[in-house]
Formats: sequence, structure tokens, C-alpha cells
Amino acid sequence: MKQTTIRRLISLGMLCALMVLFSCTSRYYLNADNLLEIVRDASVAGIIGVGVTYVILTSGIDLSTGSCMALVGMTMANIYRYTLLPIWMMLLIGMLVGLAAGLFNGLVVAKLHLPEFIATLATMGIFRALTYAIAIRDAGGIITSQAMTYSSFVKWGGAVGRIHYVSIAFVVIVILGQIVLKKTRFGTNLYAVGANRKAAELSGINIARTRIMAYMTVGLCAAVGAIFTTARLQSTTALLGNGFEFDPIAAAVVGGVSLSGGYGDVVGTFIGALFMSALDNGVLKLQMNTAYQYVIKGVIIILVVMFDAWYNAWMEKLAQERGRKEAVKA
Amino acid sequence: MMENVILEAKGICKSFSGVPVLSQVDFSVRKGEIHALMGENGAGKSTLIKILTGVYTKDSGSVFWDGKKVEINSYKDCQKLGMACIYQELSVIPPLTVAQNVFLGREPRKLGLIDHKKMNEMTQALIDQYDFPLEPGALVSNLGIGLRQLVEILKGLSCDSRLLIMDEPTASLSGKEAESLFSIIDTLRKKGVSIIYISHRLEEVYRLSDRLTVLRDGKNAAVLNHDEIEPKKVIQTMIGKVVDESAGSSKEMRKNSNEVVLEVQNLSDGTGFFRHVSFQAHKGEILGLGGLIGAGRTELVRAIYGIDRYREGTILLNGQALKPSPRTSIRAGFGFVPEDRRGQGFIPLLSINRNTALTNYDRIKKNGLAVSDKDELEMCREAIRRIDIRPADPQKQVGLMSGGNQQKVVLGKWLMRDLKVLIVDEPTAGIDVGAKDEIYGILEELAKNGVVVILVSSDLQELIRVSHRILVMRKGAIIQEFDSGVVTQSMVLEAASGLMKKEEAV
Amino acid sequence: MKKINASGFGKPIILVVFMLVLTILRPSSFLTVGNLSNVLWSISVYGIMVCGTIFVFLIGGIDLSIGSLCGLCAVTIVKIIRYFEYSNTGVLVGILAALSVGILAGMVHGVIITKFRVPAFLITFATQIIFLGLSMILTNNKILSCLQPELFTAIGMKKIFSFPIPIYIMLLIALTSWFILRKTVLGRYVYAVGGNAYASRLSGISDTKITVLAYVFSGFTTALGGIVLASMTQQCMATTGSGYETEVITAAVIGGVSLLGGEGTVSGALFGAILIGLLNNGLNLLSVPSTEHGLVKGIVIIIAVGFDALQHQEKFRSWLNQFKMKRAREAA
Repeated sequence: MKQTTIRRLISLGMLCALMVLFSCTSRYYLNADNLLEIVRDASVAGIIGVGVTYVILTSGIDLSTGSCMALVGMTMANIYRYTLLPIWMMLLIGMLVGLAAGLFNGLVVAKLHLPEFIATLATMGIFRALTYAIAIRDAGGIITSQAMTYSSFVKWGGAVGRIHYVSIAFVVIVILGQIVLKKTRFGTNLYAVGANRKAAELSGINIARTRIMAYMTVGLCAAVGAIFTTARLQSTTALLGNGFEFDPIAAAVVGGVSLSGGYGDVVGTFIGALFMSALDNGVLKLQMNTAYQYVIKGVIIILVVMFDAWYNAWMEKLAQERGRKEAVKA
Repeated sequence: MMENVILEAKGICKSFSGVPVLSQVDFSVRKGEIHALMGENGAGKSTLIKILTGVYTKDSGSVFWDGKKVEINSYKDCQKLGMACIYQELSVIPPLTVAQNVFLGREPRKLGLIDHKKMNEMTQALIDQYDFPLEPGALVSNLGIGLRQLVEILKGLSCDSRLLIMDEPTASLSGKEAESLFSIIDTLRKKGVSIIYISHRLEEVYRLSDRLTVLRDGKNAAVLNHDEIEPKKVIQTMIGKVVDESAGSSKEMRKNSNEVVLEVQNLSDGTGFFRHVSFQAHKGEILGLGGLIGAGRTELVRAIYGIDRYREGTILLNGQALKPSPRTSIRAGFGFVPEDRRGQGFIPLLSINRNTALTNYDRIKKNGLAVSDKDELEMCREAIRRIDIRPADPQKQVGLMSGGNQQKVVLGKWLMRDLKVLIVDEPTAGIDVGAKDEIYGILEELAKNGVVVILVSSDLQELIRVSHRILVMRKGAIIQEFDSGVVTQSMVLEAASGLMKKEEAV
Repeated sequence: MKKINASGFGKPIILVVFMLVLTILRPSSFLTVGNLSNVLWSISVYGIMVCGTIFVFLIGGIDLSIGSLCGLCAVTIVKIIRYFEYSNTGVLVGILAALSVGILAGMVHGVIITKFRVPAFLITFATQIIFLGLSMILTNNKILSCLQPELFTAIGMKKIFSFPIPIYIMLLIALTSWFILRKTVLGRYVYAVGGNAYASRLSGISDTKITVLAYVFSGFTTALGGIVLASMTQQCMATTGSGYETEVITAAVIGGVSLLGGEGTVSGALFGAILIGLLNNGLNLLSVPSTEHGLVKGIVIIIAVGFDALQHQEKFRSWLNQFKMKRAREAA
């Protein structure tokens, strides 16, 4: 069996184990409504996680996604309040803003050669500040949240039947993301850039363009995430997505995307996002204080990361032993 | 005859900052031949290859491809012509499949999406054509290093390459993997692909090549046809007779004390890098370790110094067993100059001062908790004086210095200690001639003061010139011992290549 | 402290120019002892923290948990003072307890990171959540005020020679940190491990021990920051200190500390913290709302770091390669 398949099975196994665990602790856990809720709650982090997966594959990172969401949300709020543009135009402009934010990140990283961590830390502040700069204010100049209640917008926060639109978008984006990753040159290039940049260059791959496109994907995903979040909240604030930037990264890493680049895929992130959401939901159902939820969540992440490190070391050891055996045989 | 030649280089000259590396080199490869390129380290092989693949630009001379004059200014130019280089450091992408690697950047597409089926079929066709033991859909990360190399070869062939350049292709392969590579090379020859084969291993060259070009000191030393390739003759040509005669015999015989300082008994690592190695080293002796790349020399000295664990055997320093760890080794009087200078030898961002002091803080005076900057600097000045670094600026960042000076810094951090054993692994690789001599001087000086120096070197001239006694390793075992007063380079090379029969050896 | 920063001549100039501009724009309010003392007071908490966290950056690690750890320590001391009914004993016990919490947290980080060889980024991300959760449990999601005793409030507010005490604490910690890094063997080992862990190991240095110590020291100063913060605000809640990790990392990066390890000085990091303080102060004086400071700070980071990056592009690349090789070796 392939190593990647085993890794995928382990992720799935951990997700199942978690769900079994929580269905023992709460009888409200394992039913269709709650499972759909888990998927819904995983969706925004998961959607952004698709883009973040691309960036991490190129051995980068993006800390600006939360601020990018806020910027997109506030742009749309301004359009909503001050213009007569149709809703679809508002959504389109929101996505363009996301793309532009991603482009900016990409240029800073790939053309100015700033380390990704620092660059996106800086843009995290910049996007948030821009959000405040364009924030909706009341007559006294105090920043307020802008209600966005127009029905053709709010419906995106709702559900068709029992399935939420955002969940559908999540699944569609994951499928699209996986297809792009596995079926296009761009996707192959992401792996090549992350795993062996020199070899990628020798094969004629444009490194800078690949990295910029990865960051633009994140921007687009963040914009989509912002649309669904604001539609569900029926409003937006300048604080939208504050502290949210780590959730997509955590989803990707738990799903087996390697922070040093080159390994992992979108389906892994999908499972990772579900895992984090199932975890949140299960801890919530323990009817404990949210404080305990945080502690338990943190501990489980540490355990997963430690398990992953141990597993990788073990696989490495097996591979080495295999190599030695071959060498001895020869 | 001429129309048979696919690549011809005439009168190639190249110099780096005024030092000629290649002068008037002629080189030609015929269609469907395996042409070996040989020469000692620094003879100019890699420079020639880099000129042919467009990494360097030549100073003068011309290159002909298929009879037409061409200019190769980048690796892309060389690919367009139909040349591909299989690099020593692998350039495959592990997380991708074999087929994805082969067609990286040129994937066949249908409606904008990669046509995996077609790509796999095309790869399978290539695999069938050359009979490689590969599967198109297998992930490269699951392949051993030998198969990864085949993927790279396949990638080279997929661009309709008519000439492959292989630089030390067997350096990291096991015997079995090397065997299958040879049969593949044979198949390629039958298909009309030309190969430039660079290797230090005489047996391979002898077995594979149709013709052989030997470079010596950046000049053509000889071009030999297959029936003229005879190991001893090749060695003679590579080394140049004059050097061979003088190297060992002109040296004064040294008298070493009989006091055994270091004794290694029956050392094995359990995985075959080295097996049942035993030797003794005496006070004030420079003990050379010779052998081909991959013979297990580096692994052996790393184990002696305590970096890697060994499974059985003992290491005795002045009769006392040592616990394997660099820390205890250093305390006991060991010093170690690693092979990978930049990666393991020094701290590039720090100054000479800090680098030389790194191993000596137990000896530097302290005022309470604070290290005496004056004492530290004084020690560094002393080290700089002894190893003669120019300019003698203790604050200079080591990462920005020349290779020779960097190596002197690595040596310098051990010189200030009360050394008993100093292990140096390829101390002069990539270092200019002047600095080389100075490093030899330092090693000899140390030996005069009673330090045991263990010298691992692939440079035969250096090995014979500096060592008092030479142990030759082959496939993880010590197979031969020479007194350097009587040994010649060819004797060492023959032993290392396994050409010398046991009964011949005394 | 002759050299402020090896790689950036530009930065002291930025500072001077910036101060000049502000002096000209706001001549009456900027260049006064009161205002400058205010600036230093406002940055003292992350000034204190960066002096310890720099050890983690220097060995090539990262600590995302310092913000919430700072909060947890603040909560610890306030809870204990309240438990001891605002007595001076409570303050002393509280300080000891908060420092122990910080040191323990650092030790846990260091041990997990070195023994299990997991990325520091993820572990400290997880502990960040845990510390926040613990603070929430301890505070029960309420704001706990603590206006007594004077011994406690003095830490953050009392002025000596017209400068508040936190500034002296910051200077003391900076001096200690500078002393360790510049003068002691340990400091030299820290730079060596950050510059090339493998070569350090071959030179007989225990890189795991140095790594653990770096995280412990970072935990210690974070706790100290938490104590000062609690005293300055005379209250604490679960989110006290949240976001401080960004401020601290920003200060370090602006001050020329490389997140890849091996490069950076305490004076540089402190300079970064002061520049941020001046930025905030200046923007306030110019009536730019605090919510929009991020824009200016972000641009300053990009210019400061981007300038260096472009200047040393080759050097930068080779660092990155080295960094990757280091990671690869560690993984193997």
C-alpha cells in the first residue's frame, strides 16, 4: 500500500476515533443534524484551507487570511450601503479584492523575496488596518457593524433542505481544488516548487509565478469564506476573522500537509477541517465551559502533531532499513 | 568518420580569476558510444561538463553539434539540442509520480487538464523501449536512490536526447543497483544514444567505455580507444609519470614512536558501511585512509569521533575505552574536521573569533560569568597566527571568506586544544593550491608535536605526500596497508579499485 | 553595543528621520520627557518579552504562545493576590507563581520540540489555545480587577526619577539578556546553534539543551511581562496579552532579528520595540486612529525587511537553503 494512502487512512481513522469518542460522551453527537452542523462549521476554515494548502505545498505560509476576510467583508458592506450595484456585482468585487490581496502577498514574497512568515504577518496588519479605514461609521464617527439583510444575499447563509449552502460550496471547492492540484500543470508545479525548487527551475517552471498564483488562490478562497460568513451573520464588522488565520493552517497540517512543503493534498485538508470541527463540536457537546474546550482542543492538536512526527520518523526508519537490506543483499 | 561525431569541442579554454582551469582541451563523442571522461580531482572534468551544458561560458574554443557550430549559453539550449545531464545531486521531485517527473513542465493536456492516462502510456512506452524496472504511476518518494536515478535518466531520454551526461552515477548506488544501471547503459548504447560517463571507478570505466579521454591539469592527457584502455596505463596517464616516481621516494623516512595512542578493534556499524575494522595509530603519526568514494571511510571516522553509533567493536585512546559522543571525544583530546565544511564545519554567520573559540570555552578565562573578551580574542589571534589567515581580522564573518581560509578556521578551533587525535576528512577539497600546502604544513606540525592525525583523502597525491602510513579501504573493510615511503599512487589506486590481487600485496 | 545591527544601516536612520518629522509636526507635544517616558512605558511589556523571546528566534525557533502565556501569568498573579486578600505576601507569592508558570511553559515547549522533533510553530500554536483556555477557566470569563496593595500597583505605575518602574525592569532585563548573549558562554552557544546546529553538535555543544534553555528564558520574560501588564492595567481577563505575540515578533523582525536563527541582537530587538512605540505614539499625535496603525507598521516591516532582503538576495537564498538543509537533516 502506498505511503500516502496509509497517511490518508490514518487521518480518517483519527477522525472516526474522535467521533466514536464523542458519541460516547454525548447522545446528541451522532445524528444527521449534528453531523451536518459539523460540516457547516468546518466549511469556512476548510474553504480557506484549500488555498492555504497550495501555499504550504510551495513551502510557504499565509497568516493574513483572517484580515483578508475582514477586508473583503468590509468592501462588500460599503458597496451594500453606498451603491446600488446588484448583489452579484458585490460578490464579484469582493472576490476581486481577495484576489488583489493575494496578488499583493505573492508579489511581496516572490518578487521582494521576503520570508513568507514575516511578509504575511505584515500584510495581516495592513489588511486589517485597511478594513478599519473603510469601516462603516455611524453619525458620531464610531465604527459600527453593518447589517446586510438583503434576502438575495442572506440566503447564502442559509440552507437548501437541511444542507447549508456553505457546506455545498466547501465540498465543491475541495473537489475543484483537488482537480486543479492533481490535474493541471499549476498543481504539479506547486509540488515541484515546494519539494525541489532547483529541479523545478531546471524543468523550466516559473517559480515566482507559481508562488504568486498560490497566494492569489488563498485570497480568492478567503473572499469566498468572507461571503458565506457575512451572509450567515447578516452583517460584518471590522473584527471579522480576527485570530482566524491559524484555523486553516491547523486544518491543513492535521490533514497531513507538511509545513516544509511538497507533501499533502486538498482532500487531506478537507479531512483535517472536519477533524477540527468535529473536535470543537464534540467538546461543545460535553457541555463544559468553552475554556475547557480550548484546553482539550490544544492538547489534542499536540497529540496529533506528536503522533505525526513519530509516525514520520518511523516510516523513515523503515525506509532506511529497507535500503540497508538491499545494500547488504547486493 | 567525421559524420559519426555527435558532439565535438575544440580548443576549449577557461580560467577563473586568471587561473587557467582548461587550456586547449579537445573532446569528441561519437554517435552511440560510451565515452568516459577521467582525471584526478581538479583536472577540469566538471568545468568541461559545465561548459558543455551551458552553466559556464568558455573563454575561447568552439563546440560542434552534429557537425554544426553551436553556442550553448544555458541548460535550456543544451536540452534543445538533445543533451541531458544526470546530476550527481538528484533533481527529481519526490512527491510526484514517475510519469509526472518525466514530463514535468511538458505534461500532455486535454481540455486544459493533464491527461494522466496518456502521460502514463507515454512513460510506459519509454520504459518498455529501454526496459527500465519502473512503473509510471509509482511515487518517486517510495523509490530507492538507484531507481530515482533511472527516473532522471528517463526524463533525459524523454526529450529525445541523443547524448546523456552521467556524472559519477554509481557514487551512491549499491552493487546491485550499479549492475542494473550498467545493463541499462548498455541498452542505451544499442539504441544509439551517446553517453559521456564520468567516474573515478576504473573497473566501471574499463568495462563500459568505448573510448576514454583523460584530462590532467586542465589539458588533454590522452584519448584511448577501448582496446587501449588498460587500468595501469590509465592510472599512469591520469597521474603523470613524473609525479608518480617522485611522490613517495623523495620523502625522508620518518621515525614514529611505538607508543600506541589510538586503537580501533573490530569496529562494525552493523549495516555494512564498515566491517571489522581494526588498526592502531602511533604517537606523532599521520595515518592516511585511502579508498574510493563510498568505501566507508567517512562513516568510519564519524563513528570513531562518536557522531554515529557503531554496533560492535571498541575504540581505545591510550588504552581506555571511549563512550561514543562528540563531547566526550573532545574532552578526551579528539578533534574533527568534517567533510562537508559549510554544512558541518563552521558557523557561517559568526566571526573567526567566535568560531575558533567555540571548542575552547573551557580554557578561556572568565570574570565571574562573563567570558573574558580579551582572552578570547588573544586565543583567536594566536590561532590566526598559527594557521596564518589573511587578512588577520578576528571579527571577519567566516561565511564570507574563501574556502581555504574557512578550512583554516575549522582547523584553528582544534589547534588551541591539547589534542591527542585529529581526524580530518577531505581537508583540501575545493581549496586552492597555496592554502593546500599551508594545511599540509599545519598537519605535519601537529604530528611533530605528537598528535595522531587521521587523514581521509581522495586526492592520492595528497594522501601519499602527507601520510606516514596509508590504510586503503574497499567496500567497508581495510584491505591494504602501505608505508608511504615506498608506495606509489598507482599502487593505492589499484588496491582501492580491487585490481591488486591478495598475493601481490606484501 | 557598538554595532546596532550588522545588516541594517538604514534602521537607525529611519528612527532619527521619524523622530525629526514628528518633532517638526508636533513640536510642543512630541519631544518632551513626559511623552518619551510614555512611549517607553507603553512598550515596556513587549520590550520585556522580546528580550527573552529573542533567544528562541536566535536558535531558529518561534513561540506563538507568548501572548496568551503573558495573559495566563497576569491572571495567575491577580488570582493569587486576591486569594491572599490583597496582602503583600500575596504579591510575592503571586510573582513567584507567575514566574514558575512561565518557566514551566517554556520547559514544556522546549522538551516537546527537541524530544519529539515537531515544528515549534504547531506546538506553540496549540499551547496558545491551551493557555487561553486556562486563563478563561481561572477568570471564569470575567474581568478581575486588582487595585491593591500598593506593592502590586507600584510595579506598573510608580515613577522613580519621573520614569515609571516598568521602564527600569525592561532595561534590567535587556541588560541581563544582552549580558548573557554578549558575554557568557551560553550566549555564544545560542548564536552557534542558531547559525549551524550540526556544526555546533560536532563542536561538542548540546543543541537540545540550548534549545530548551531558550524556550525557558522566553517563558520567564513572558511571565515577567504578564506581571507588569497586570500591574499596569490593575486588572486582568482571559484575553489579556492576546496579540502580543505579533507585536513581539514584529519588534524583533524590524530590529533585524532573523527568524531563521543565528542573527540579531538585543539592542536591535529593543530598537524595534521602541520604533513601534514611537510609531504608535506618533500616529496618535497625528490623530491617526489606533485601528489603522497596522497599515503603517506593515509597510515599515516590508520596507525594513524587504530592503535587507533585496540587498542580500544571494545571501538570503543561501540562508534559506541552509535552513532547509538543516530541517532536512533534523528530519532524517
